[in-house]
Amino acid sequence: MTMKIGVYICECGPNISEKVDIDKVIDAVSSMSDVAVVDRYKLLCSSDGKKFLEEEIKKHGLTHLVVSACSPKQHEKTFMEVCENAGINPYLFQIVNIREQCAWITEDKDEATEKAIRLTKAAIRRVRYHAPLEKKEIECNTDVLVIGGGIAGIEASLQLVSANRKVYLVEKTQSIGGLLTNFEKTFPDMQPSSALINQKIQSLNNNENIKVFTDSEVEEVLGFFGNFEIKVKKKAEEEPIEFDVGAVVVATGSNIFDPKKTPQYGYGKFDNVINSLEFEKMNLSGKISLKNGKIPKSVAIIHCVGRNEKKYCSEICCMYSLKFVRYLTNKIPDVKVSNFYSDLCLPGKSYQKFYEQTKGNTDFVRSMDVKITEKDGKLNIEYKDETGKKSDLSVDMVILSSAIEPTSDASKLAEIIGMSQGDGGFFAEEHEKLGPVSTSTEGVYVVGSSQDPKSISETMVQSEAAAGEILSSLVPGKKIEPEVKVSHISESLCTGCKTCLSVCSYGVITFNEEKKISVVNEAICRGCGNCAAACPSGAATIKHFTFDQIYQELMEAVK
Amino acid sequence: MSKVEGTPITKGAIISTKLNTNESIIEFLKKAMDKKVFDAVLVPVRVPAGDSFAYVLIEDKSLLKDAAPLSPIMSVQGAKAISGMTKLGKGNMKIGAVMRPCEIRATVELTKINQTNLENITLISMDCPGVMPISDFLKDPEKSMKIYEDAVKRSDDKIMRPVCQICDKSSMVSGDLHIGTLGAKKGTFFIVSNSQKGNEVMNKLGIELKDNVDDWRNKVQDVFEEKHKKREKSHKDLKAKTTGLDNLINTFSKCINCHNCMKVCPICYCRLCYFDSDKVKHTSEDYLDQAERKGSIRFLPDTLLFHMGRMMHMSLSCVSCGSCEDACPMSIPVAQIFSMVADETQDLFDYVSGRSLDEPIPLVGYKEDELHEMEDAK
Amino acid sequence: MGEKKQHTDVLVIGAGIAGIEASLLLSKSGRRVHLVEKTSYTGGSVIKFEEVFSNMECSTCMVSPVQQELLQDKNINLLMLAEVEEVKGSLGNFTVKIRKKARYVDLQNCIGCNACFDPCPVSLKNEFEEGLSERKAIYVPCAGALPNVPMIDTEHCLHFKGKSCNACQEACAFEAIDFKQKDESIELGVEAIIVATGYDIFDSKKTPKYGYGKIDDVYTAMEFERLYASNGPTEGQIFLKNGKTPKSAAIIHCVGRDEKGYCSAVCCLYSLKFNHYLKSKIPEIKISEFYTDLCIPGKSHQKFYEKMKETGTQMIRANVVEVTKSGKEITVNYKDENGKKSNLLVDMVILAPAIEPKSDASELAKILGVSLDEYGFFKGENQDVFSVVTSKPGIFAAGCCQGPKNIQNSVSQANAAVGKILSATKTKMEGDITA
Repeated sequence: MTMKIGVYICECGPNISEKVDIDKVIDAVSSMSDVAVVDRYKLLCSSDGKKFLEEEIKKHGLTHLVVSACSPKQHEKTFMEVCENAGINPYLFQIVNIREQCAWITEDKDEATEKAIRLTKAAIRRVRYHAPLEKKEIECNTDVLVIGGGIAGIEASLQLVSANRKVYLVEKTQSIGGLLTNFEKTFPDMQPSSALINQKIQSLNNNENIKVFTDSEVEEVLGFFGNFEIKVKKKAEEEPIEFDVGAVVVATGSNIFDPKKTPQYGYGKFDNVINSLEFEKMNLSGKISLKNGKIPKSVAIIHCVGRNEKKYCSEICCMYSLKFVRYLTNKIPDVKVSNFYSDLCLPGKSYQKFYEQTKGNTDFVRSMDVKITEKDGKLNIEYKDETGKKSDLSVDMVILSSAIEPTSDASKLAEIIGMSQGDGGFFAEEHEKLGPVSTSTEGVYVVGSSQDPKSISETMVQSEAAAGEILSSLVPGKKIEPEVKVSHISESLCTGCKTCLSVCSYGVITFNEEKKISVVNEAICRGCGNCAAACPSGAATIKHFTFDQIYQELMEAVK
Repeated sequence: MSKVEGTPITKGAIISTKLNTNESIIEFLKKAMDKKVFDAVLVPVRVPAGDSFAYVLIEDKSLLKDAAPLSPIMSVQGAKAISGMTKLGKGNMKIGAVMRPCEIRATVELTKINQTNLENITLISMDCPGVMPISDFLKDPEKSMKIYEDAVKRSDDKIMRPVCQICDKSSMVSGDLHIGTLGAKKGTFFIVSNSQKGNEVMNKLGIELKDNVDDWRNKVQDVFEEKHKKREKSHKDLKAKTTGLDNLINTFSKCINCHNCMKVCPICYCRLCYFDSDKVKHTSEDYLDQAERKGSIRFLPDTLLFHMGRMMHMSLSCVSCGSCEDACPMSIPVAQIFSMVADETQDLFDYVSGRSLDEPIPLVGYKEDELHEMEDAK
Repeated sequence: MGEKKQHTDVLVIGAGIAGIEASLLLSKSGRRVHLVEKTSYTGGSVIKFEEVFSNMECSTCMVSPVQQELLQDKNINLLMLAEVEEVKGSLGNFTVKIRKKARYVDLQNCIGCNACFDPCPVSLKNEFEEGLSERKAIYVPCAGALPNVPMIDTEHCLHFKGKSCNACQEACAFEAIDFKQKDESIELGVEAIIVATGYDIFDSKKTPKYGYGKIDDVYTAMEFERLYASNGPTEGQIFLKNGKTPKSAAIIHCVGRDEKGYCSAVCCLYSLKFNHYLKSKIPEIKISEFYTDLCIPGKSHQKFYEKMKETGTQMIRANVVEVTKSGKEITVNYKDENGKKSNLLVDMVILAPAIEPKSDASELAKILGVSLDEYGFFKGENQDVFSVVTSKPGIFAAGCCQGPKNIQNSVSQANAAVGKILSATKTKMEGDITA
């Protein structure tokens, strides 16, 4: 079929017509091959203008359309719709910006006209090489896999089953509840932790839309957004359980930094030096006591244990250290408590109030170079105060408020699912600001302290956010429309060097071992272009941004 | 240790021999085949016509006597032989391949981009005295054999390829085993191992790696320093001659677009070179436009562009072997120029092509903090 | 046997980053969204920043794609220059009255050419630019504001003050200026409401010891953001009031913290960002940061802090007693951690003021019938510090109107509110529909 390109120049009122000699542009492009008609119009984006274009397309039997007007951000979509309505594939269209990038910034009319001519000619050359692209639709599964049965996983599951989605909750240990089951109370409201978690577990157990697998781990995650194939291995069983889901929520939590790595605190060396989790458990049991069974009369809480080693602040330790002061003063009437800290981190709106209400019950000592030794049968804290002066304090018990770090199997899980690990070894979110719970693997979300140390309250918000994302993108009966302008790797040109694999941020490319070539999964490709840019042999190209299209446009523009 | 070497090797084996270097290596290979450490070996062999050498995969031990590991010329670059053999996967034969350090480096580079499979291959290098330009050799093959042998004995490299004369990596160890002749006492040579695979081969051969190899290392260091100085001077002179568009155009103006340099280059692995594809074919309208603008246009156009483009694509992996220059029918000093640029581009990333399999090619690595010197001057 | 009407539309109040993200996510799920914004532009506070921590991403580049998506989304009914006047009803069945002020510029006809600005005879201080530059009575708050359509400030426009002036209308080639537009009253029925109205910063005049408003070259964080902004009053050049380039600067943390009684969570980090701002324009500048406790939680933030420290900034843990001026230089008088009095001479002072609820937050809370906490922020469920659920079912609060927080957490809250709405639908509605 012969190509018939229609070229229309928008006057944009006086905006373009006063700065660009449109008739000259029409003259200049009319002689180009394959150009069937060139015309001008007052305002193409108006409803009259759009009707005009549609009629023109039908009248002249146009196969391609070029519109020289404003920025594509304004009206590319508008004119693509016009094409669709007139029966042309919307990708056989090119918009030229002769307003923001030409008329509005060029003083001299001759210069502006010359530039408009170049840009329009370039677009005409480009559009010759456009291929019709079709929108695709993929069926999707709306079930969700939640990995981790702590508060993060439980909250996400509850939100999802409330919307009648089916959830598979996989928990590594014997029972769900996670770290919260070890706490007596949570800050800053000092409400019983058990009330919070037990009520939620009850709701889960009563819901028929959720299947809980305890003593189980995720063995394999294959597939892509809307179509994940999952294998879960239960400890006692031989065969893995298999099922399909549309999305995965990673809520695997975190570990406490091992203070044995910071020997100056004497953890593991001296009795009665314990870490925060051990203290929570001791407190929950109802009795706070020393190794010899006696009740401690003096306790020191050391903040920021492991901070230098981990190189980040774990956000919640100052708050839970204050909570510990409350625990101690509630259970041991005359106990003497001291908190050794360097900076107070209280980033929640009621945290400062919590601090003000608690600080009277303890001695807050700003200190550095804290070292624990044994002296006269008691624990001795050697430290430097804020003036640099050396000092020491004798106490019965030392609690180490240690950093939060990723779980030891985080890397293994990251590999199974195809997630990246970011700063601190935590799972990387898609975008620091605008994509806090999604990851670069579409359909995989990460929430809670496996993503970044955070409080229970913030964790629950993230779980709800992930649920929000999943509920809006995976809707029963609705198909997923993946990106159209995706990468394509030529089978005959690919040399199998795997360069594209190493630069793809979205895990979209797989290597076919038989043919020894790389293959793109078009369903999840985002069209970012990294592979096409990096491919040394030109085998990878992006639809709608092929070499020919860009080259032709460029060559005409710089002629 | 020179910064060129990967990991400093301190121990090896000192082998006594009554044979010359070529024969010693053949003896070593024979022993390895006897003990079934290798099922076959890949070595250069003089062609029956006598006027060249080719890589031959020898499975029949009796044919080993024709092998010439230290051949006077490099016909096909060894890395091409390896990748041709293993691109589609490893074989089940255990192979010992004897090649020059630059050929092994090129093999390492190709392995990084999946063009070879080294699983059943043991790479063996030796201290390389250089090779003659093929055109010189061909003037009189018999005479050239003697000239070469003589030059090697006297450690005289004036007859070697221009890039060999300034090669400071002629003893670089990046394969599995390396035969060291520099600094060896008469009647001996060194063998060192650079990998687990190398260690295992020596183990199976019953040769312990417990001798002190300082003599070899020190001599290697001396030779490196001498060649390095020579290299810097040569590059400085060459840079002066080729800097600026006019100089470049003049240097490459006799190019006849045969693309031989690209075809023999071990690093150029694309199935279809950009410069052979339709992407460089334009409409006559375009050509006539260019002629109109500039007054005239040369055909075939884009000659310099081809070289600059190829340089941009392979510079980070260039091993300065010189095959390209040997293949150029117009005697353009391609290897010297590409080699000079490769030193600078690789230096930008503290990278030496082929130094180690563990170093990814800078193209695929991203570091937040790098190349500040390339940023716009304020 | 009445059938209680169930709406599925959602009202979002505030088109800052939280409001925009919530609207887009709701639209993606197929819901119709009514997004009410008080000002004439979208993007809220985030578009005032040039860069955001900790990777120094260009803020406007980050936000403009979502603003673009917002403007072209067919499911979102964007009501600008609009405020909520009345809210009645409950979850599933809210009736909302909205007052939409006239813009006096037609959104369809206006193509954003700005030809109407020059002829306008009225000039006044631009609030968006923190008063550092001027605007006309017909204006857009800054270059690049979206939607790129001006509004007429009727309090200062001569035409609306009874004088005869049609200068802008005459300059417009698209008949986009329409003095006859009227304010509208719009009634909507919605299922749920998300409040995302953002924050104000503490008025530094209330802490006179820092010299703000009295001493030249004492700036608030917002003013400094606009000075550094490439689309700001100085196009990103940092000058003192006398036109000279500052050789030294002091950044004072925690301004207003004692008065407000809470930590605003983001100031230490943006103060470090200011370090980068200053050093990138004035590499030799000497910077001192005065702080009491360094609050930099998060896996990437300490790395950012170390990097900023490497630029040579002095971190001074101190209580700033007073900022004074004598002659040409400003003196920061402080007590260091040993209690010793000290002072530092600087050219410029930047104050990091607390984040506080918007001045009309209590009015809005009354209209919505929800409670505020003791600080004036929207109170969460069970006193929860970060919960998006308010005291009224069906009304959610996301972003800084709920409590001071960074952009990441504001977006999380926005998505969480959407999650709550999408998951509440089935269970709550089933109970209400009667046959």
